[in-house]
Amino acid sequence: MTPTPRRPSTDRPGRPGRPGRPGPSPRRSPGDATGTATGTPTGAPAIELRDLRRTYGHGSSAYDAVRGVDLEVAAGSVTALLGTNGAGKTSTLELVEGLAAPTGGEVRVLGLDPVVDRARVRPRTGVLLQSSGFPADLTVRETLRMWAATVSAPRPVEESLERLTLTDRADVRVGALSGGEQRRLDLACTLMGRPEVVLLDEPTTGLDPESRRDVWQIVRDLRDDGAAVLLTTHYLEEAEALADHLAIMHAGRVRRAGTPAEIAEGHPSTVRLDTPDRTLPALPAGRVDDDGRTTTLHTTDLQATLTALLAWADAEGVRLDRLDARTASLESVFLAIAEGRDAPSPDRSPDPSPAPSPAPATAAPTAGAPR
Amino acid sequence: MSTTTPRTEPTAPAAPATDAAGGSGRGAGVRRVRGLARANATLMTRNRLTLLYAVVLPVLPLVLLLTGPRGDVAVGAATVVTALMMTLLFPVYYNLLSQFVTRRDELVLKRLRTGETRDAEILVALALPGLVVAVTVSLVTVVVALALGAPAPVNPVLYAGAVLLGALMSVALAYWTAAWTRNAEAAQMTSLPVILLLVVGQVAVGFPDSVQRWTDWTPGAALTALVRIGWFGLDDGSTTPSLDLADTWSVGLQPVLVLVLWTAVGLDLARRSLRWEPQR
Repeated sequence: MTPTPRRPSTDRPGRPGRPGRPGPSPRRSPGDATGTATGTPTGAPAIELRDLRRTYGHGSSAYDAVRGVDLEVAAGSVTALLGTNGAGKTSTLELVEGLAAPTGGEVRVLGLDPVVDRARVRPRTGVLLQSSGFPADLTVRETLRMWAATVSAPRPVEESLERLTLTDRADVRVGALSGGEQRRLDLACTLMGRPEVVLLDEPTTGLDPESRRDVWQIVRDLRDDGAAVLLTTHYLEEAEALADHLAIMHAGRVRRAGTPAEIAEGHPSTVRLDTPDRTLPALPAGRVDDDGRTTTLHTTDLQATLTALLAWADAEGVRLDRLDARTASLESVFLAIAEGRDAPSPDRSPDPSPAPSPAPATAAPTAGAPR
Repeated sequence: MSTTTPRTEPTAPAAPATDAAGGSGRGAGVRRVRGLARANATLMTRNRLTLLYAVVLPVLPLVLLLTGPRGDVAVGAATVVTALMMTLLFPVYYNLLSQFVTRRDELVLKRLRTGETRDAEILVALALPGLVVAVTVSLVTVVVALALGAPAPVNPVLYAGAVLLGALMSVALAYWTAAWTRNAEAAQMTSLPVILLLVVGQVAVGFPDSVQRWTDWTPGAALTALVRIGWFGLDDGSTTPSLDLADTWSVGLQPVLVLVLWTAVGLDLARRSLRWEPQR
């Protein structure tokens, strides 16, 4: 890997308003850094998981945290792993990070095994753990200097300070930093080696909204510069705003994967209204729930249902109070999966790329409103 | 381990090409250990207790030399032995134990292990500041003892060997203790067995022979014997020097073997039991 500056554009600190999402950067054509076998085979994704499994413990106390995950992350893209606590997100990420070897299946990072080929993989990956870990008694600058000593080709410390807007806090001890500042310091270390693969475990948990936006911008910059980013998050709006691809995990498996639109596709839209004083007519809708106060219509064709409803109300002179219509959202799908109401997934998780087959209409929840 | 060396900010273009080739070169390993050890040394000076343990406690026993008549061999031997014990117990053993446990709790070790740094490098870098203190204090002991009238060491190699082997053994025992120490506070209790192992050999001089036969196998007894033999030419239990250089080699063999044994056992235990993440 040549130490020449390979990413001039990232050297500009988190600048807002960067253009959208260009395709994978040509600068990162696989293997360009070394021109040797360390590069990924042409066209191979930067991260590739095949039937990945991880079991903790042995015998009767064994626990399967990861139960056959397939996932690909291309260079120049962001993939978000979503799921409730215990879904297996961190366990999966640790396998990609090379902190543990899988019980079964295969992990490839830049075409290499992160455990066996550790020495060749680590200089090209940047990791952010769920909890930051730095000695409380070192200053920010001392911490970055320490970390720089462990990185093959580190950015200058001053540049890292500037990029994560920590320059003013450089001589403050880590123990005196706010949570957001500690997270930025952590991120500065993650990015110090100009990683091609970036693995972020809940990068914005506990951050204030402004810091969160800063982190989002950094992630977008990384993507625009051709890095492959795999992150976990609890925040659906974060996943929607940031990720090109989503993978929703539940109980150790990827239950749904694709773009946010692909994931919502096939899930019913909903129309809610205060239950009117007379019976609704037959509408082009699926299931109708009425709890006495609110009526909820589930429909795969929101426009048709809404048109029919409004036409009926108009003709009957019925006032529809608190009318609310919404397209199937990531949230409703996520909740359905988290609550186990999702359609039974095939034994193996769906292939996330290039485009997963849209969920069939029968994937609609069969009980209860998505709330 | 100086913490005041001028800053040398590593810059990307300055990074040696061999380092960049996967960070597997020997130079890269040395650079990582140096950078981490420097941070660890800084941390040692930031905490008042570790600083006290590192700098003050080991040299305190040297005051004993002022109590007896100048050049008294018994006082000299007791002083040097006590200084060595304090050095191994506090800057090396206890500080390393509490630092490892604290860093594990703070998730610093876990964080470091996500990067290019190898496990062995983390361990060496953590131990280095204490080892440097141990060597420095031992050199200071020689200078102060000679200045206050103690005889020159009969076999300096044996004394140096006691310091180095003792330090390595203390490092191994610290990592082993850390394996079953829950947090830095618990270290106050879990360190007691090892402290006892070191101290019992020194106080065993007054024990009956039947007991001493057993205490001779403790690392503390071996270290005491090596200082008495190597520096002062004192044979077992005697108070007047009787050994010449050739004698010291043969008499010193057994305590050296005892130390080697404890070091080997300590390293093996540490290797098998080391934990990098806090218990949940």
